[in-house]
This record gives sequence, structure tokens and C-alpha cells, in this order.
Amino acid sequence: MQVSVEEMTLYGTPICRGIAIGKPFILNRDDFKILEVNIPLNQIQREIVRYRHALQRSKQDIKRLQKQLEIEAASEGILILEAQLEMLQDPLLTEQIEKEVHESRKNVEFVLQQALLHYQQRFQAVEDPFFTERFKDLQDLTRRVFSYLHESGNFSLSHVPPHSIVCAEELTASDAASAHTYCVGAFITATGGATTHAAIVAKSKGIPYLTNVNLDQIKEQKPESLIVDGRLGKLIINPSAETLVSYAKLQDQIMHQTKNLKQMARWPAQTFDGYSIRLSANLDMVTEIDFIQEMGGQGIGLFRSEYIFLPKNEIPSEEEQYQVYVSIAKQMHDQPVVIRTFDLGGDKAVLHHHFFHERSPFLGCRATRFLLKEKSLFKTQLRAILRASLQGNISILFPMISTLSELQEAKRLLEESRQELKLFHPLRVGCMIEVPSAALIADHFAKECDFLSIGTNDLVQYALAVDRSDHALNEFYEPSDPSVMRLIKLITTEANKMHIPVSVCGEIASDPRFTALLLGLGIQELSVAPRYLPLIKNAIRHTSIVEAVQLAEKTLKLTTAREVLQLLMETYHKNVPTDMFYNHTLPH
Amino acid sequence: MKIVRKVQVKNAMGLHTRPATTIVKLLQNCPCDVTFTHKQDTVNAKSILSLLMLAATKNSKITIVVEGDEADVTMNKLVQAFENQFGE
Repeated sequence: MQVSVEEMTLYGTPICRGIAIGKPFILNRDDFKILEVNIPLNQIQREIVRYRHALQRSKQDIKRLQKQLEIEAASEGILILEAQLEMLQDPLLTEQIEKEVHESRKNVEFVLQQALLHYQQRFQAVEDPFFTERFKDLQDLTRRVFSYLHESGNFSLSHVPPHSIVCAEELTASDAASAHTYCVGAFITATGGATTHAAIVAKSKGIPYLTNVNLDQIKEQKPESLIVDGRLGKLIINPSAETLVSYAKLQDQIMHQTKNLKQMARWPAQTFDGYSIRLSANLDMVTEIDFIQEMGGQGIGLFRSEYIFLPKNEIPSEEEQYQVYVSIAKQMHDQPVVIRTFDLGGDKAVLHHHFFHERSPFLGCRATRFLLKEKSLFKTQLRAILRASLQGNISILFPMISTLSELQEAKRLLEESRQELKLFHPLRVGCMIEVPSAALIADHFAKECDFLSIGTNDLVQYALAVDRSDHALNEFYEPSDPSVMRLIKLITTEANKMHIPVSVCGEIASDPRFTALLLGLGIQELSVAPRYLPLIKNAIRHTSIVEAVQLAEKTLKLTTAREVLQLLMETYHKNVPTDMFYNHTLPH
Repeated sequence: MKIVRKVQVKNAMGLHTRPATTIVKLLQNCPCDVTFTHKQDTVNAKSILSLLMLAATKNSKITIVVEGDEADVTMNKLVQAFENQFGE
């Protein structure tokens, strides 16, 4: 029997382009009962280790809290924490849970959740409300354990059914990292910015992603099917047969286009009037290198080295880092590899809470600021990079530098490490320009560096005073703002005077509508998410440097972000009319 | 060696968080098996959650069973703890 349901369209903020047709999968973090996963026998031990690790980290947290309370002399609180510490060692939460994981062969989250439900019933059966209340301590404690399990749990999204449209309040970088592209058709979230790391990971996988979507309707209706149009920020609930057919066709065409663009890998990244630029790739996971080569990347323009932390959530040793860096350099043969030193802090919750708690991480102690405080961590990395650079074409890049003295201090530590290792071979040193203060004195930076790299994601957020993790501000986050264009122009002008190259590695480098403009502004290298290499190369090959320079001049005269974007879209549409991905009108 | 003793909870709040924590800590490195029986429930006394789930209020009677090496030492410590109301 056919139940007639009405087609309905909602709008959100598009984060990653693409079309997906599928069924909603609601990811509810408040109750964990949704995840019941069968664990293969050879993975059981891993579950146990994961669980012990989560208990261990919870214990560290509680001990730290206790110290804090001791300072504040809050003795009642200390007692509660003392009891929580005992609970963490309770055989019911240790041996018993491990035993049940072994017996049931289910994921530890599920086993723990079941146990919790059982204890809840027992506590509630008690007549004395005082004892009933004690369940809250257990609940509070297990919430902490769950959050650590969630961080390490890389199957949270890897086991969803194929063609799932994952709907969640918010997405973490590890959620996005755990998603298989053949299972997760698209992401829809209520909150989350375009340049959060979850978004970057989703983009690098090419999973369509909409944010700022009101999920109530989906939760209530539990619709059979959804269509996500990541180009327009459109979400169609219960699409009609006609809509389904037309979107299936569009999806097909886009797939075709992607396939055709792959042929680009063999061609040089050159405008049709012969101006060559270096088109390299941003690298997050070492496993992506094959893909980068397949897509025709001419090097690694940005290796986000902090991603080595992700799988283990531990600080890698110098030797481990050295191995990773060497293996990247070797796999890339003689092509340049730029290693950006750890960018910890900001929205990378990884390890973040091990070191500090801050209210405003983006304006706080992150990246190089952080490394200059944690000198031993920084020098460990510098040593690993120095040693690895003997084995390949490696350069070093310092992130989030806001003053010249920060750069000088970072360079001093590099020099110190050289002395210690007695390694004095040439190594190119670059600086990320992502803070307006650095852009404004780009001339000074250009004198101290071998190259500059513009991180547009941060540059936009700092220039416009828009916290990129704050979803309420999404509409204000405009990479095409004239102020940003002028900052880029300023940087390239000063760098050109010093004859050093400038690259762009932010999100706009992966957006083909910006390609001609960036070339025209004097950018010589683009570093893009691997998936977008063919699309960007196609954009480069369909423009001329003469036109690009004219476009840049015209753009610099415009007054609003919308005007700029409109001009870029028109130009792109004229140059590459066949692209189904980016050619459409501005929404709203 | 197996010893069985009956004790009474004297604390005003019963066997709540603080006494339960004290008991578990006291038994931390104890080689014996220790159980508490209250009404029909018998639980492992080394498990704080189990102790709390006993919900033993003031004046509850608890049967302690200690089994293993030097059970008498452990039993004496426990009885004493109940006697001085866990230091409250």
C-alpha cells in the first residue's frame, strides 16, 4: 500500500557539495543504545583495550578535578569524586564488563549501556530516595567514559547501513573520519561551521554535508527517503517520484563528470596561455597518498601533522614521527612535502584537554603559540622533521603566527635543534599567514621565510571577527569578502618583492570559482583537498593569466562579499559551463 | 578460613557513599573474598556499586562473610569500621 506523504524542502548551509539520495540515520549522542555492533573475534581484544583506556583517562580526569577541589577546599565534592574513582575500579565496571564483551561479542559501548540500564533499574527499585540518587554519580561517571570511548571508537559511523543520510546535532572530526563513503551518503547537522575539522574531513572524503538544518521534522516524521543537494544547501524530505528521477539523473551526470575529470591527472596545471602553477594536495591521513598521486597532485602543500595524533590520541615519539615523515617523502618521490608543525588547540579537541581548558580556543593558546610553551613537544617534532628532511624534499611550515617575534622564536628553536643534531643541510622554512596582524606586516615575514602559505579559513575568521565554530555566525563567514581579497593581495605583493612564492591552502583553494582570482592575485601554488585536484586543474586550464589578472583587478574594486562571489560565479560559468557541481545560482 | 559475623549499620545516613567508599578502600588489597548480605541480597563487598545497591539504611543488619587468608584480621577491621561509624 502506498502511503501518500508530502514532499517538503528545507534549507541549510551547504558545507560539502554533492548529491545524495538515501534514508535518514539519526545519530543520537544522548542515548547510546543506537549502537549495537557485532565485533569479530579478532577485534575483541581491541574493544577491551579501548575500554581500559577510557577508564584510565576518566580516572586521570577525576584526579585532576579532585586536585582542583582541594585547592577550593570543597570537601563534599572530593568525597563524591573519591566514590567515582572507586566505581572506576569496581569489578562490576571492570571484570564484569570485559567478561560480557567477551561473551556477547558486542561493542563495549553497547555492553556498558546495557549494564547501566540494569543498574538503573536496581537503583530505582530501592525505596530510599537517598540511595536512588546515587545512580546519578554512576551516570555522571559513565558519561565521561562514553565520551572517551567515542573518541577512540572508530566504528561509530562505520557500521551504518549503506546510503544513510546521517543526521546529528553536531559532528566530530572522528565521526567524519570513521564514515565510509559507501555507507554514509551525506551528513546533516543542526550546528557546525564550514571550516571545522569535521567539515574538512567530510570534504576530503567528498561526503555531501549540510549544516544549520532543523532536524525536528526528520526526527518526528522519520521519512523513508531524503535527498541532499549539497550544492544549494537543499534537503528534500519525502521526495516525489519525479523529484527522485530528476535527482538520480543529476547524480549520474555528476558521477560522469567526476570520472571524466580524472583524465586531467596527466595534464599539466597550466592556464591556456601557458602560465604554470604548482597544484599540490593537503594531506591529513598518510593512507591518502596513493589517491593524491592518482589525482595528479604535484606534491604535498600542507601536511596537517597533528592528524598523526588522531588514531591513538597519544603524542607520537620522535622516532614514530620520523618514520611517518620519511614514509610520506619517499612515497612522494622527489616532489615537495610541506610539513606543518602541530596545530593543536582551536577546534581540534584531540589532546587538547590534556593540556589546557580554554573558553575561546580560536583566540587562545593554539598552534605555534602552544608549541612555544610546550618546548619539548615542539623540539621533538623539529628534530623528527630535520632528520626526515635528509631523506626527501621536505619543508617546514609554522602555523598561526601572529607576530614576527613568534616566528623568530620558532626559528631559534629550529636552529637549536640543528645544533643538537649537527644537521646543517638546507631546509626551506615557511610561515602560515592566517592572522591579519601577520598579513599587514607580510614584508617583514617575507624577509625571514623561504615561502609563505595563506591559510584562508583562519584569515577569514580573524579578519571578519567570526568564530568559525559558531554556527550562528555562518552567514557572516564570507571568504569572498573584499577585506580578505585585499589581505591576500597585500601578502602576494610583498612576497613577490622578496621573490618568494605564496601558496593558498585554505578551503577557497579547493573551490574552482576562486581559482582564476587567486592566480590573478599572484598566487603560485594551490594546495587542495585531494578529491578536488582534477576540478581545480580543470579550472586552471580553462582560464588565462591575462584574464585572471583582469578579474583580480575588477574584484579588488568591489565592495561586498556577495558582489565578489557573483562575479566569480559568472566568470567560472563562462569558462567552465559544463561543471554541474558549482554552476548554479546563489541560494536565497 | 571462613568467618561470619553480624553487624548493624549505626550511621544516620545508612551505608551511603562515604561508608561504602571506606569499605572498598579498606578491602582494596585484601586477599579474602568478602560478601555482605542484607535482607535477601548478597553482594561482593569490594564493589562500591553493589554496596550502594544494597541500600542499607540506619539500623540495617548486615551479615559479613570473610573467606581466605587472615580472614580474622580483615573481619576485625570491618567490624571496627562499622563500630566507629566509619569515622563520621
